[in-house]
Amino acid sequence: MPDFNPVTYAIPGFVLLVLVEMIWARRKAPEKYEPRDTLISLGMGLGSNVAGLLTGGLIAALYLAVYPFRLLDIGWQWWAWILCFVLDDMAYYWFHRFAHRVRWMWASHVNHHSSQHYNLSTALRQTWTGTIALGFLFRMPLLLIGFHPAMIFFCAGLNLIYQFWFHTEAIKKCPRWFEAVMNTPSHHRVHHATNPLYLDRNYAGVFIVWDKLFGTFQPELDDQRIHYGIVKQLGSFNLLWVAFHEWIGIARDVWNAPWGSKFGYVWRPPGWSHDGSRDTSDAIRERWLAMQREAPAE
Amino acid sequence: MLEQLLQLGGSVVAVLLLAWICAKLGLGADVRIGSEDEAKRLAAEALCGFEATELALDRAGIGALLRDKEGRVMLLRRHGAMFASRLLDSHAFARLDRNFLTIGTGEETFGKVTLDLGDKAQVWASSLRHLGGATHA
Repeated sequence: MPDFNPVTYAIPGFVLLVLVEMIWARRKAPEKYEPRDTLISLGMGLGSNVAGLLTGGLIAALYLAVYPFRLLDIGWQWWAWILCFVLDDMAYYWFHRFAHRVRWMWASHVNHHSSQHYNLSTALRQTWTGTIALGFLFRMPLLLIGFHPAMIFFCAGLNLIYQFWFHTEAIKKCPRWFEAVMNTPSHHRVHHATNPLYLDRNYAGVFIVWDKLFGTFQPELDDQRIHYGIVKQLGSFNLLWVAFHEWIGIARDVWNAPWGSKFGYVWRPPGWSHDGSRDTSDAIRERWLAMQREAPAE
Repeated sequence: MLEQLLQLGGSVVAVLLLAWICAKLGLGADVRIGSEDEAKRLAAEALCGFEATELALDRAGIGALLRDKEGRVMLLRRHGAMFASRLLDSHAFARLDRNFLTIGTGEETFGKVTLDLGDKAQVWASSLRHLGGATHA
């Protein structure tokens, strides 16, 4: 299988753009960066690359094993690349949605959300445990349709590269037509926000149309002061804790839960508890909406 | 293998260099809670539905203790250029030293914080005892 990863070639560009954004932040908003937070984000990015090297071969082998069972022989025509890119982005949407709604997957994806800052270094804050979280399963349908694993890996790489630039507060809004179709800084700020209205919204990778199609779109509103991160902020700059805290949380919860509820802490949404003592994002949003309804009109 | 190790070494250097540049550029902020209203806003943002009815603000603004009408107590403290919070429960501990109250959440990675609460320190130290596990030295 051809071994070409476009992300490798994009890394110098990532570094350069982080530098440019830092210079912007120094002039306009120094609080948008925090050196320890940036170090953690970059450390997570580096660790994620190492994890990818260790497990990428396994996933490639699995994809190659599944590919012979394909329904169609799509081949390498030019249109196949475009179709693969679009369908891969839809697969990403569903992966991402599950990564927020199933705690086992969230334990891995939470790494990307654990910064209270939203800048280009946050884009590089990637998981070390993605393979354990089974995210690779979501691209299996593409193999079964008939797209070659190398084509899927290439499109997934392009998808990841696209997702880098919109992790910024330096760009407010893009042209309307672009905001309507594509994922943008504005849409993705909503995704990283912990404001109740914004929780679990805008899962898109490249095309925001998936959120509009599947009912998870939320535009950024002027009257919502965004706060970033996770519902229970870590309050720690310990790299290992950042990488593994949710896995440890799952292990503790499973250990302490009654037998009938143990599995719920693995597959139910983050924040679920057998005794109702915690809040899921749905519960938080409902509470917030109830508060808005009860608040006197201004 | 050697190529990959070199790549890894280069990446480590690049990561450290970027973080160093971030610090050298003076990025980050010395954030402080400027008022009781700001503390209340931060608490409400941290936990939807938390409406503080009582609070004690650290004199330097690095943290605060807040209580809502349900009796829940929240510790708010600085974390880098942001704030992080925890509801205090029976695992929390508090140590009073004149106007200074050191509070731990029982969560090792969240750490402890010492707040200068002025003449409110003693009252809050005493009220934290009712959380169950809070201890005093």
